[in-house]
Amino acid sequence: MTLAERFAQMPVLRFFSALVPVTCGMLAVLLANLPVPLFGGLVPTPLLGLVPVYFWCLVRPDLMTPAVTLVIGLLEDVVSGGPPGVWTLSFVLTYALVARQRDSFAGLSGLVAVLGFAAAAAFACACAWLTVAALHGRPPLFAPIFSELAMTVLFYVPATFVIGIIHRHLVGPLRSDF
Amino acid sequence: MANGVWKIARRGNAQLPLVIVIALAVVLVLVGKAQSGLFDSARTRLTDWMQPMLESVHAPVQSFGRFAGSIGEIFSVYQENLRLKDENARLRQWRNVAVVMQGRVARYQSLLHAVPDPDVNSVLARVIGRASRPFLETMILDAGRTSNVKPGEAVVDARGMIGRIYLAGDRTSWVILLTDLNSRIPVTIVHNDAKVGNTQAIMAGDNTPMPALDTLSRQVHLNVGDQVVSSGDGGLLPPGLPIGTVVGDAGSYRVALLAEAASSEDVEVLAFRRAPETLPPGTSAQLPAVAAGLKPVVPAPVMPVVAPQVAPLTTLQAATRPIPSASQAPLEVAKPGPASDEPPPP
Repeated sequence: MTLAERFAQMPVLRFFSALVPVTCGMLAVLLANLPVPLFGGLVPTPLLGLVPVYFWCLVRPDLMTPAVTLVIGLLEDVVSGGPPGVWTLSFVLTYALVARQRDSFAGLSGLVAVLGFAAAAAFACACAWLTVAALHGRPPLFAPIFSELAMTVLFYVPATFVIGIIHRHLVGPLRSDF
Repeated sequence: MANGVWKIARRGNAQLPLVIVIALAVVLVLVGKAQSGLFDSARTRLTDWMQPMLESVHAPVQSFGRFAGSIGEIFSVYQENLRLKDENARLRQWRNVAVVMQGRVARYQSLLHAVPDPDVNSVLARVIGRASRPFLETMILDAGRTSNVKPGEAVVDARGMIGRIYLAGDRTSWVILLTDLNSRIPVTIVHNDAKVGNTQAIMAGDNTPMPALDTLSRQVHLNVGDQVVSSGDGGLLPPGLPIGTVVGDAGSYRVALLAEAASSEDVEVLAFRRAPETLPPGTSAQLPAVAAGLKPVVPAPVMPVVAPQVAPLTTLQAATRPIPSASQAPLEVAKPGPASDEPPPP
């Protein structure tokens, strides 16, 4: 029996492994919303909080539940300073889309998988754009939200690499009942 | 990617919670629209808690940004030096004009017994963070309620107005920039042609570098280069704060801001509160004319008695009244337009 398999039999560690996705999501939100301009403020910061939501919604939806997505979106709203509830609603609706089309998204590989995430991120940004337009009574500009989408897709591959390592070492061995 | 690497778990039976969570998110949007104070207090507490970390992180990032920005300027130092010398010579001429105009305005104020503008206290603050999000352009200052910073107060740097305080925590405060989608500022457009009166408008940000001028009637014609200053309507912002100049944009007008928020490091928060207007006093001795030293209007006497004469102030006496200092009325001085490169008239 390997060390990971021994850990998997410990209830306490199994409990903490269930907190890894929400912890990663919240850390990603805090990291992305550090008030330090990226590249001199020329480009917006990426929606890093969406990457853990998308990843674990595909891989382990029992750990990335709708309630966890709500919490991550709520933190994004609080720290980003924008209109309250906009990113919460966007994250939850994106989760609903990805969860409904989970087999399609999970079957993608390589560059097409990046395009799959780009589609989900575009859906999230479109939801946020429409919500803000409804709140303000006039449509905001496309360019800033499009820049945010481009940066989010650009950061997807490195972020997924890090999340994959975390999942492989913390979540996977301890939660191998699926 | 996920299918090739990760073992996919079975579909979660979370349809009912998903519907409930979506409903909660919609309610959150509506509650946030109605009462944003709940989110605001959480934001200010978070930035207050993160202030030491932000200050320590901001310093090396700022140094790196200066270093990276200076690399490109090395190759244009000579041309930049010539340009600055030329600009300095022209600014010296404008300064002489400003000094003459300041003296003239002071004399006029003295002759007219003008009431000086109220003092504007300011709080110096340092920018410790910036955020450029699709729906919010903001900066975070290291001064909060403990420094008497309050929401709504104007934030300026040496060049002009940057924005106004949006949230005030104990030790930090958030600034909503003039370019932000939520920014609305009442402004006055001072025409370069003195024969044309000033025009009132609302400057609305839309996340572009140049905010738009709204609520202008169709008959109003603006010229490129007209000065845009704060109007002071509403009593929250002091009137006359320099903001920018008018530029045309395909049938509409926008404002090229004087201040550049992306490079501002030290700013001032102006604590301006217009004093509430009071009704005229009931006694004749406190009427404005009497208070200004003018001869009061004496009602027709019923009986022919000799009334004591109130000696009016002579010109010399009027001129020796305390004159408002330049710091008390800095906004009344006619400022030369920065967009104009012409030397001042002789």
